[in-house]
Amino acid sequence: MDLTAPGAHGVRAAATPRTAARGMPTAMALLAGSVLGLVGLTWDVQWHTDVGPDTFFTLPHLFIYAGSALSGLAALVAVLGATAAARAGRPLDPTVGGASVGVFGRTFTAPVGYLISGVGAAVFLLYGMWDLWWHGVYGFDAVIDSPPHIGLLLSGIVTMVGTIMVFAAAAEHRWGRVGTDVSIALTAANVTITVLGLTDVGGPVDAVHTAMAWLVVILLLTAAGFRPTRGGAVIMAGWLAVIQAVTWWFSPWAAYAYADAVGLPVRDYINGVPVMPALMPMALIAVALLIEPILKAARAHGNRWLPVAAGAVAGALVAALQGIQDSIVYTYPTPGPGTLLPTAVAGALLGALAGHLGWRFGHMLRLVNRTRPEGN
Amino acid sequence: MRVRLRRQATLLATVAGLLLAATPVAQAYEPVNIVHTEKVQAGPYPITVGFSTWPLRAIQSLDFTFAPDGGIEGKSGTLTMTPATRSTESRKRPLVRHPRKLEVWGLDIRALEEQGDWTFRFRLDGPEGPGEGALTLTALEPPGPPMALNWSLSTLPLIGLVAFLAIAWRRTRAEVLAG
Repeated sequence: MDLTAPGAHGVRAAATPRTAARGMPTAMALLAGSVLGLVGLTWDVQWHTDVGPDTFFTLPHLFIYAGSALSGLAALVAVLGATAAARAGRPLDPTVGGASVGVFGRTFTAPVGYLISGVGAAVFLLYGMWDLWWHGVYGFDAVIDSPPHIGLLLSGIVTMVGTIMVFAAAAEHRWGRVGTDVSIALTAANVTITVLGLTDVGGPVDAVHTAMAWLVVILLLTAAGFRPTRGGAVIMAGWLAVIQAVTWWFSPWAAYAYADAVGLPVRDYINGVPVMPALMPMALIAVALLIEPILKAARAHGNRWLPVAAGAVAGALVAALQGIQDSIVYTYPTPGPGTLLPTAVAGALLGALAGHLGWRFGHMLRLVNRTRPEGN
Repeated sequence: MRVRLRRQATLLATVAGLLLAATPVAQAYEPVNIVHTEKVQAGPYPITVGFSTWPLRAIQSLDFTFAPDGGIEGKSGTLTMTPATRSTESRKRPLVRHPRKLEVWGLDIRALEEQGDWTFRFRLDGPEGPGEGALTLTALEPPGPPMALNWSLSTLPLIGLVAFLAIAWRRTRAEVLAG
């Protein structure tokens, strides 16, 4: 991959209402792929928890793979369109998927957001094939933390990062800004399940909650850093709350409806908690509101340490509150200070790093098309 | 624009409808095929433990069935599955019906994660009072390639993403710092 812009058909900014309309359908298809994937994932997790048996060809799996295929096709269409335009000597609009890069020399010209999404989707299918082989060798044990499953989740996140970039590139349009916020929230919803791979890590610190705090705070600060005005963190947290509310209703309903349709009983002694939505931090809007004044000061003074402080505060709160959230949702005893305090400290340390990274990622997103969003 | 959006919505609705229509009403899930059994005595209750794969191998999942003599009606109990490497007994789980063989208790497609000996301890309660018994099982080495290789392959997207972000970080550094 050549990460320089193709010289012969240099990238030129040519944002017009017409090109904005042309960029929207592929961006929306990309986003629809992510939504389908999340729908399938929440459904699949609930299915395995509350009903059970697995084969490769279940309806939730169909949603997961259809989502990735849709994202991959959208990316392919965008890359082929950009390649054709570049070869014809037409100007490329960097608000459609971001600045373009040459792939395989100058064979293809790919808007960088679509390139990342497309690579994620292609790799996702490879991991899907590996998963099929894996289940043939190791059986259909429905665990989230098998190597192919982690590969699938990570490549799905790569696709979502590309989706964020595609919408960020169109930030001069309202749909671009809204799409960026929604894509970041969708990514946050997805990463919550990935951290379950750390369930078996022992010690006084809750590794799952700390890792979740780290990832969610990176995304929270990315949303905040991307938006030149205040409110980015709260808006992203709001979208995550919407996703949580919808999937809270949807995932158990879909699991039971599907079980009913295929004639399988619900397991004995299930608690009925929507598993994946219950992982998403419920207090994130409050946390976001708390750090907004710090971020406002960071914007006003250009201070690089204030986002670090905001990340530390958010990290400590998300990591500690997650244990309390679990205790309420699953009616466990509330964890004592012996667990909550070390977890909050670890959350603060990792949150500080997440604050630094996320704020920077947000500013990098503004440059994905090398132009500044003019809205707001 | 509005016509195009309506056309796209119609297309999406058609695709969704076709997907749902193509879903079989009743999918064929594999029946539980027991190829080996062991006996364990939990107090007054003899239990037949069935396995859909034998011998057991670490990480390789299979169906387990637990069938007390006289059936599960009127009986309840718990199961713990503890590897020899663990000093304390694992968490008690209620004995639940196997989702594809509802007349017995069981575990659907479950793997023993570690190679070595495992103790399955049953605590039952029923018409003849409480009873407890244990069965020791050995999980042989896992099939397939080494797990280190598997995990290395699984983290490639993460490595790729980090590498991409590092390159983007370097290339945008001057502009980001300039504000």
